[in-house]
Amino acid sequence: MPGRRYRGLTVLAVAAALAASVAGCTKAASPGAGPTGKPVTGGNVTFAESPGTPPNYIFPLDALQYFSTNNINQFQYLMWRPLYWIGDGSSITLSESRSLARPPVYSHGNTVVTINLKPYKWPDGKPVTSRDVVFWINLLTANKLNWGEYAPGFFPDDVTKVTAPTLSQVVLTLNGAVNQQWFTQSELTQLTPLPQHAWDKTSVSGKVGNYDTTTAGARAVYKFLDSQSRDLGSYATNPLWQVVDGPWRLASFSPSGLAKFVPNKAYSGPVKPKIASFAEVPFTSEAAEYNALRAGQLTYGYIPATDIAQKSLIVGQGYQVQPWYLWSMNIVPINFNNPTVGPLFRQLYVRATMQSLIDQKQYVKAILKGYGAVENGPVPTLPATPYLTPALRNGPYAYSVTRARSLLREHGWTVPPNGTSTCAKPGTAAGQCGAGIARGAQLSFTIAYAAGVTSIGQEMQAWKSALSLVGIRLNLAQQPAGNIFSTMTPCSPHSAACKWQMSYWGTGWEFAPDYYPSGEVAFSTAAIGNWGSYTNPVMDSKIKATTTKNGLGVFHDWADFATQQLPMLFMPLSPVQISAIRGNLSGALPQPSAGLAITPENWYFTGHT
Amino acid sequence: MTGYLIRRLWHALLVVFGVTIVVFIMLHLLPGGPARAILGVRATPAAIAAFDHANGYDRPLFAQYGFWVGHLATGQLGYSYKLNQSVAALIADRLPKTVLLVGLANLFALVFAVPLGLLQARRRNSALDYSVTGIAFVFYSMPLFWLSLLLVIVFSIDVRWFPPEAPQGNLAQVLTAPGGLVLPVAALTLITIALFSRYMRSSAIDSLTQDYIRTAQAKGLGDAKLLRRHVLRNSLLPTITLIGLTLPVVVSGALLVESVFNFPGMGLLFWNAAQAQDYAVLLACTVVVGVATAIGSLLADLLYMVVDPRIRTA
Repeated sequence: MPGRRYRGLTVLAVAAALAASVAGCTKAASPGAGPTGKPVTGGNVTFAESPGTPPNYIFPLDALQYFSTNNINQFQYLMWRPLYWIGDGSSITLSESRSLARPPVYSHGNTVVTINLKPYKWPDGKPVTSRDVVFWINLLTANKLNWGEYAPGFFPDDVTKVTAPTLSQVVLTLNGAVNQQWFTQSELTQLTPLPQHAWDKTSVSGKVGNYDTTTAGARAVYKFLDSQSRDLGSYATNPLWQVVDGPWRLASFSPSGLAKFVPNKAYSGPVKPKIASFAEVPFTSEAAEYNALRAGQLTYGYIPATDIAQKSLIVGQGYQVQPWYLWSMNIVPINFNNPTVGPLFRQLYVRATMQSLIDQKQYVKAILKGYGAVENGPVPTLPATPYLTPALRNGPYAYSVTRARSLLREHGWTVPPNGTSTCAKPGTAAGQCGAGIARGAQLSFTIAYAAGVTSIGQEMQAWKSALSLVGIRLNLAQQPAGNIFSTMTPCSPHSAACKWQMSYWGTGWEFAPDYYPSGEVAFSTAAIGNWGSYTNPVMDSKIKATTTKNGLGVFHDWADFATQQLPMLFMPLSPVQISAIRGNLSGALPQPSAGLAITPENWYFTGHT
Repeated sequence: MTGYLIRRLWHALLVVFGVTIVVFIMLHLLPGGPARAILGVRATPAAIAAFDHANGYDRPLFAQYGFWVGHLATGQLGYSYKLNQSVAALIADRLPKTVLLVGLANLFALVFAVPLGLLQARRRNSALDYSVTGIAFVFYSMPLFWLSLLLVIVFSIDVRWFPPEAPQGNLAQVLTAPGGLVLPVAALTLITIALFSRYMRSSAIDSLTQDYIRTAQAKGLGDAKLLRRHVLRNSLLPTITLIGLTLPVVVSGALLVESVFNFPGMGLLFWNAAQAQDYAVLLACTVVVGVATAIGSLLADLLYMVVDPRIRTA
């Protein structure tokens, strides 16, 4: 179940652009310590949060509005580890050493999953048990509508029975056979054991019980823990949030998002923290972050995209500079049900024509300054994984104006050298425009794209220009990302909500905490992420196979089909940030692509801290 | 006087009321709706329906407005689901910091601009006047953002006298490290001095041509006394108007300065809420700024009466 989250968009990017021009007038500071030297214990790390996206929810069962990288992967995971951890460096694989359980055992024709827990402990010495896993499942099941990752039909709907035969074993009985890799990487990764012995209560002064075993009780417990999570000022002092099984515990927290962690001395995982503290620092804008970076106040920050020309200054200050890619696909959803352009989008040749005019290689080179990768289909190209096929790597619709023009002409369109293409041969036979397209119809679309990010605007302008070469008009509508998300909704053709045609926000969809990059939530008929109402029985069948049958062959078959069918259009992958990491901080590279889940317990200083 | 005050307060209340109605209607004209903007693109129809119901967004517009005004009357400003805090808590955190930042900047600006404007008027067309005018024009025409970045580069990155950002945390925590306030306050002050001093100079030049000034000079009154006793008071009216107009800015924040100096205040609160369609925050901020505008206007009128007896007796 691909649970895809969007990352907050950069605000006030204009500010950053101006910062670039001003910062260029200054001289470089002296270099800091280099990357070599003996490992030292201690030292404090300051880590820059993305602008305007501070952590603001601590209870690790996140409602929709709090389901974000800054709350989960870069905040809660430091304190409460998921049952199964995906990611080892930048690779997308199950990390057995970081997981709280041994690899799951599948039986009964892949309909029963047995989970054996490792001997982890809470700070009070009590073990992390199967009861803690069941506690989380019970809370989730009773409150699933609030859960950010919930998609009807998937976890917990596909689990018919949960048992805990021993304190270290949980058995899940499923409603059908599953693809083991999919279930492990997309469903079991969502589970996070919670300290039942401390949290199973309904009020601050109430006694701990087994309230979660009834639906009403589980709702009351959820309500209580949610209410505690709304008191941001008490995050570091509330005893509830000190019962952690991760390598870190919160030492201080301000509602603006300044979070300081210190090592959890009772952490039972294999890698213990070496640095003395880890602080996440909020910023109001990229310009503010860059100022702090230039002033040497950050251990781990980033160079705003608009300031990348200043990279040598930052390197000169002793920072290592590396792009950080998120395990995600960058998409342009299109509305197949829009009454005006829906009939056009329903023609594969129209989608192929538009995809063929996205010059991804050039966008990466000129707009993203070389930091990016071509994405031809629904599987991320960075990092390289076995999920990629030749079609995904090379793309069936590489940039070609000639091919785009031919596609239109072959389907009954008049394509003038200058001007707007029109349908000359209406009808549904071969060589005709297709169903619902009248004689004289024009290819004119409106795309709503996210305001405030220079590269997004440049990509849209470049695409508009390329489309015009074959007589396709693209009207650009710049909007706040919130507006785009609120209007981009599945709709019936004649409803008022169906006015939207195309959307683009530049950061795509994240495969986390369901990391298996299959398409059941985005491309299946009526799936919650299928905003454009794409429907194709062949696609549905192939997607179903990826979740129910083992083997990469099934996955490749679907991925190639989706790449060829273009249920959405695809744009190049861009880094979430160009990180600047102090040269004397080791262990932070390569940066994790899976959910951007940082593991500062692996970090240590060499030389001066 | 009392009747005048009551009349003005009543007018102010009507203005605030009207502003809330206009903003309320405009917010609800935005496409989509708050549920999807806040819950995100994965929200199921059931989750959206539950959210809309819980927040009253499924009721008729006038009922929603009545519901909101009812809560407002009891001091409940709503809850920001985007920031996971009550709007009252957010404003209680941001407003004092913004008042400190913009208030200090305006105070310093007044302290410097009023004497400077008077001096320029008195030394009109002198080298001093031209120099100060030139400098004022430079600051007045300089984008605030640009000036802020220059200050950071010179004083934080090059000479490293002051930190590039304000201290994080609440007002008390901000005050524990006042060094962090120097640059943001300086940026705002420099721009505001330029503005105030120009008005003061212009007004003082007018005053200096009046008959009563010539009379005072003919009686042998010294320059300092002349400026203090006769020119200053008679030249303050335009500046008072400006101060009145500045009050809304004191509470609505200085978005660019807050952005550059990592000083989360009211300006950024409103800006981010607008980006995310965070209705509760937008409405509450509008009310706060509306009230401040009305109070600022009222204060300016009252100050006119204090400064100019002719207005008092009119």
